[in-house]
Amino acid sequence: MNDQRKGDHAEPTTHFGYQDVPESQKARKVAEVFHSVAAKYDLMNDVLSGGMHRLWKRFTIELSGVRSGNRVLDIAGGTGDLAAKFARLVGPTGHVVLADINESMLKVGRDRLLDRGVAGNIEFVQADAEKLPFPDNHFDCVTIAFGLRNVTHKEDAIRSMLRVLKPGGRLLVLEFSKPTNKLMSKAYDAYSFAFMPLAGKLITNDSESYRYLAESIRMHPDQETLKAMMVQAGFDRVTYHNMTSGIVAVHRGIKP
Amino acid sequence: MLMAGLLASAEHGLNRVLRMDSTALPRLAALEGKVIEIDCRQPAMQVFILPDEQGLMLASAWEGEVDCRLRAPAASLAHLALSRDKTAVLHSPQVQLHGDTAALLDLFGILQDLELDWEHELQKWLGPVPTSLIAGHIRLRTRWTRQGLARLSQSLSEYLAEESRTLVGKREAEAAFSELDAMKVDTERLEARILRLSRSLDSSDNA
Repeated sequence: MNDQRKGDHAEPTTHFGYQDVPESQKARKVAEVFHSVAAKYDLMNDVLSGGMHRLWKRFTIELSGVRSGNRVLDIAGGTGDLAAKFARLVGPTGHVVLADINESMLKVGRDRLLDRGVAGNIEFVQADAEKLPFPDNHFDCVTIAFGLRNVTHKEDAIRSMLRVLKPGGRLLVLEFSKPTNKLMSKAYDAYSFAFMPLAGKLITNDSESYRYLAESIRMHPDQETLKAMMVQAGFDRVTYHNMTSGIVAVHRGIKP
Repeated sequence: MLMAGLLASAEHGLNRVLRMDSTALPRLAALEGKVIEIDCRQPAMQVFILPDEQGLMLASAWEGEVDCRLRAPAASLAHLALSRDKTAVLHSPQVQLHGDTAALLDLFGILQDLELDWEHELQKWLGPVPTSLIAGHIRLRTRWTRQGLARLSQSLSEYLAEESRTLVGKREAEAAFSELDAMKVDTERLEARILRLSRSLDSSDNA
């Protein structure tokens, strides 16, 4: 729904924040953003969300129902917040794959987890969410936290996640969404377009990446649209939970 | 979100405390993979506890299967947490328990047996010399306070029993109970003798 695939003659375009860019360029531009922010990604998350991202991720883990011995795929796993928790939950008999398309983010995540002693049941894979390099019906749970909006072809990514899930397996999509309260929406707009680029400039010396973050959130499908995309891809029992007045939502779907 | 925040803080604090006891985490490792649900009826609140070798994970919701479910009002839960004889509390009518109760009892046992090595924790922050001085001072004060409280309790009971005569002294009460017991036995003996005599009188009348 975010894709604008055109005819054979012109290269299809897609959104990169508020800009329309050729599809072939989006992945490169997103990669540049994350290369730029990788080193201070965790610090920026804490500053920009006031630490709330930890609670959003915590709730996502509670919804996952992951148990000892399960196989879990954390796509766009970044610095490994979710993967570290999943590694604890699945125990030595389970397996967690932290996948990210961005080499810098994956390296930061891998170093961080290994430094914290998270090893043995975790693997780090550089992978594109649209073409996941895993067998069919392989994982009990797939998560993607704050990553789907950066994917060029979201429908392809959701279908790819469906393919690698076992029947009965769960997909959890944690992503920025549309605030449900008008007042909150206005305050959030002011915060996103004034404070976020400023904080980016002060902490990472990169305001453009955080301007892209604010714009990409606005271009991302809202709660109902994403739910429809998951149903369209073939997920069953798709539900979503709004958090912090809908600023963030977690969607969950079950593979039939 | 508020509940999630509170549980995150509680989990952080609890795990710090657990790390202060060298035996707690290895014992918790034996419970890895178990999910224990504590369902408080009044006030209504659910907490899921997931133990593993790194401590406890607390969750306000859990979509997976639960191994053990404990349902009770807050007062019973508090009693259960503090009581030494947990089995008696678990058998009370207000408490409902389903599933693998051994996991729950093991968890309570681990929490009850905690012996916190607070000196080690303090040493990490202050260094060995100040810790030794502070610890020695705290130990001395603790011993002094404990002895003071014991003496106060003894003096108070002596005053109430011997001087103000508000309460009966322990030995006095024991003597009175002993006299009562002797009197009870004597009465029973007398009753038996009277019964025997009345039977012999009845039999001589019939003859």
